[in-house]
Amino acid sequence: MASKILSVDDSRTIRLIVGRALRPYDCVLCEAGNGEEGLAVAAREKPDLILLDVTMPVMDGVTMLTKLKEDPALKTIPVIMLTAESGRDNVIHIARLGVRDYLVKPFKEDQLIEKLSRNLTLKKKEAVPAPVPAPAAAPQA
Amino acid sequence: MNAQAPALDIRHFLNGHLVDVFQTMLSMKATPVSEGPPPKFAEHTTGSVGFAGDTVSGAVYLHLSTEMANRIAAAMLGLPPEETLGESDVNDVVGECTNMLAGGLKSALCDKGYECAVSTPAIIRGTSFAIESLPDVRQEQMIYESNGSRFAVEVHIKFNGKN
Repeated sequence: MASKILSVDDSRTIRLIVGRALRPYDCVLCEAGNGEEGLAVAAREKPDLILLDVTMPVMDGVTMLTKLKEDPALKTIPVIMLTAESGRDNVIHIARLGVRDYLVKPFKEDQLIEKLSRNLTLKKKEAVPAPVPAPAAAPQA
Repeated sequence: MNAQAPALDIRHFLNGHLVDVFQTMLSMKATPVSEGPPPKFAEHTTGSVGFAGDTVSGAVYLHLSTEMANRIAAAMLGLPPEETLGESDVNDVVGECTNMLAGGLKSALCDKGYECAVSTPAIIRGTSFAIESLPDVRQEQMIYESNGSRFAVEVHIKFNGKN
């Protein structure tokens, strides 16, 4: 079955880059633009993993993570922080809340895939076989 | 933490960080320019991200020509450089680049004991404007060149009233 990944980021560009990185893989990408939407999508879609930004309007990533970990139905979903903020204390604080991993922007798409692969099974999409040309009609006798 | 500015060379830090952001996210080479006047643009697209804490506050600005802003947006979205993009797409990319610059600076400041939080990005567009800061705010402007176009990063920062 395809993995389901939820990308929570207020930047459409980052969500698009995540989608582009995942294109070769058999997985479903769900999206949310802030923590409040992220909690709603997580409850509805039950993703296998959440990629979570920190600074977002409406509800930031740390608040979303805290609420996620308080919810018995959602607390076991692994979370990877994908953020531009990497200060030592910030990382320690977020790690204590129970994140699985941390990827700092700027990032390469292969770094993202590597982090994801450590936390769930990403299967490459099977190549679609080229259509077999119809056999030429036998010449009429 | 006392009110003295930390031993952080903002100019040096941001020079390295900007080159990394451009190389990693845009596959574009950017080079710090040590001499020359600040770039003048017919039309500006400027990204801004603020940061604030008990001991430090300020903002990071990324000043681009609108043409350059369109080019970096195309690069980040994986489109040809000549592709004309919608304003919201360009704003999102410029905002995200500014966010990465400010996030890096915030992290470096936090590691020096200057805890702060960053804002979400904002975009300013216009043909003629200048950003002025209040007294006691230190200003740094760094100029860069990429593919023959110049652009600038400006940092306004205040450490508890002492700079």
